[in-house]
Amino acid sequence: MRKFFPVEELARDQRFEQITMRQAQADPRTVLNAESRNKTNRLTPDRADASDRARGLMHGIFVGEIQALEGAGRTCWDFETGTEAPFALKLDMARQAWDEARHVEISVKLSDWMGTEIGQFAENTVLFEAACSNDPVLRLAGVNRALEGLAIDVFTTMKEFGDLAGDPFLEFCEDWMLADEVTHVKMGSDWLRRITENDAERRKKALEFQQVVDKLFSFGGTRSDSKESPIGLARRFRELAGFTDTEVEDIAEMSLKALEERKAFAAAALAGDTTADPA
Amino acid sequence: MTVTVTPEEFRFVHFDAAQTARIADDVARLTGIDRPVQVEIDETTPLSRVRIDLGDTIVLHVESGAFEDTKRPRHQSETATAASLARCLLKARDRLEGGFGEAPTDDDLTLQQAAAWDTYCAGRMARLGLTVNQQRFRYNFRNRFGFTDQVDTRFERVWAADALTWGELQSLTSGESMVVDAP
Ligand SMILES: [Fe+2]
Ligand SMILES: [Fe+2]
Repeated sequence: MRKFFPVEELARDQRFEQITMRQAQADPRTVLNAESRNKTNRLTPDRADASDRARGLMHGIFVGEIQALEGAGRTCWDFETGTEAPFALKLDMARQAWDEARHVEISVKLSDWMGTEIGQFAENTVLFEAACSNDPVLRLAGVNRALEGLAIDVFTTMKEFGDLAGDPFLEFCEDWMLADEVTHVKMGSDWLRRITENDAERRKKALEFQQVVDKLFSFGGTRSDSKESPIGLARRFRELAGFTDTEVEDIAEMSLKALEERKAFAAAALAGDTTADPA
Repeated sequence: MTVTVTPEEFRFVHFDAAQTARIADDVARLTGIDRPVQVEIDETTPLSRVRIDLGDTIVLHVESGAFEDTKRPRHQSETATAASLARCLLKARDRLEGGFGEAPTDDDLTLQQAAAWDTYCAGRMARLGLTVNQQRFRYNFRNRFGFTDQVDTRFERVWAADALTWGELQSLTSGESMVVDAP
C-alpha cells in the first residue's frame, strides 16, 4: 500500500465537491459591510437564518471528521514504527481513527436530522492537507493542536446552539464529540512535548507549522473572541487539552488581528482589486 | 408578464442575470403571479435574506446567498434560485389575494410566524413540483416551536395546507410555546 497519499486522490463519490482553502476564504462578501449589516455573526438560535447556518456548519464538521479519520489512519501507516514514530503514538492515532469513524457516523445522522444531504456543501480539504507533512510531529501540531483545537471551538459553539434551541440530539452529540476532541488535542500536546524534548529545532518547526494552520482559519475571521466571528474561542476546553495560557492568548490575539486583515482584504476587493477573485 | 433583473453584470459572484430572469419568469407563471416582477440582487453579502415590496410591480431585494450553489460558493444554483423566488412569490400572492391583511409586515414577523409561513410556502412548492427538502423545513419549524411530537403534527398540517388565511395559519401553528422575538 502506498505511503503519503495526496489530497487530490482522497476517495469521494460524485456527491462531493472539494474546494481549496484559498477558494473558501477569497470570498469578499463574507466581511463586506459586516459592521453595518449585523451586530454579530455568531451562530445563535435568535438569528433568522439560524437553522440553515447550523446545517452548513454541521456539514463542515462532517467532512472534517472524514479527513481527520483519513489523517490519523495515514499517520499509523506512513511512518516506520520505532524509527520514525513510537508505537504508542501510533496506538493513539489508531484510537483517534476509531473515534473519528464514530464521529463521521454521528455527523451523517445529525445532518439527516437537520435536513442536509451528504455533499450538499463544498468540502474544504485543509485538514487533510495539514496531515500530509512528512514529519509526524508536524502532523500532530497542525492537525491535532491547530485544527482539532478549532474543532473544540466549533463543537462548543454548536453544543451551545443545540442547548439554546432545545435540540436534544444536537446538544448531546456535540458534547460527546467535544470530549473526544479534547482528548485528541491533548494527544497532540503530549506527543509534541515528548518527542521534541531534546530537539528544540524540531519543536520550533512544529509550533511554527501549527501557527500557520491556526492563522489560515483565523484569516477568514471564522474563529475569534469577536462577535463578528461565527465561532468563539473555547478557552476552558483548550486549557484542558494542554494549551498554556500564553498559547490561548496568542491565538486570541492572532485571530482578532487576522479578522482585521480580512476586513482590509475585503475592502480592497470592493475597491476593484481583482486578485481577490478566486475563480 | 415582464421580469427584470439587476445588476446585469456581477463583480463578486458568478451569477447570470438572463438566466435569473428566465427562472423568475417560469416561477412567476407557476405560482400564478399576474404582474411584473423586478429582482434586485445584492451581491455584496453572502447572506440569503429577501425583502419583498408589493405594488403594481413586485420588487424582490435578494441577498446573493439566496441564489447560491452551496457546493460551489459564489456560483448560482438554478434550484436555489427557483426555490427562493417561489417562496417569495407565494408570500406575495398570499398578501395580494387577501386573507393575509392582519399579517405583520415582513420586518415585524416573529421568528415563529416566519417559520410557519415558510413551511406553508414550502409545502405548496413541493406540490408544484419544485425541489424542496421537507426535513430542512421541519428542522427549522422545530427550532422555532419546539422539539415535540405535537409540534411535528402541527408542521404536517401546515405543510399539507392550501388556500389558508393568515388567521387559519396562526391557529394551525398555535400552541403553548413561547413566542421568540426577532433580534
Ligand atoms: Fe472528530
Ligand atoms: Fe478529532
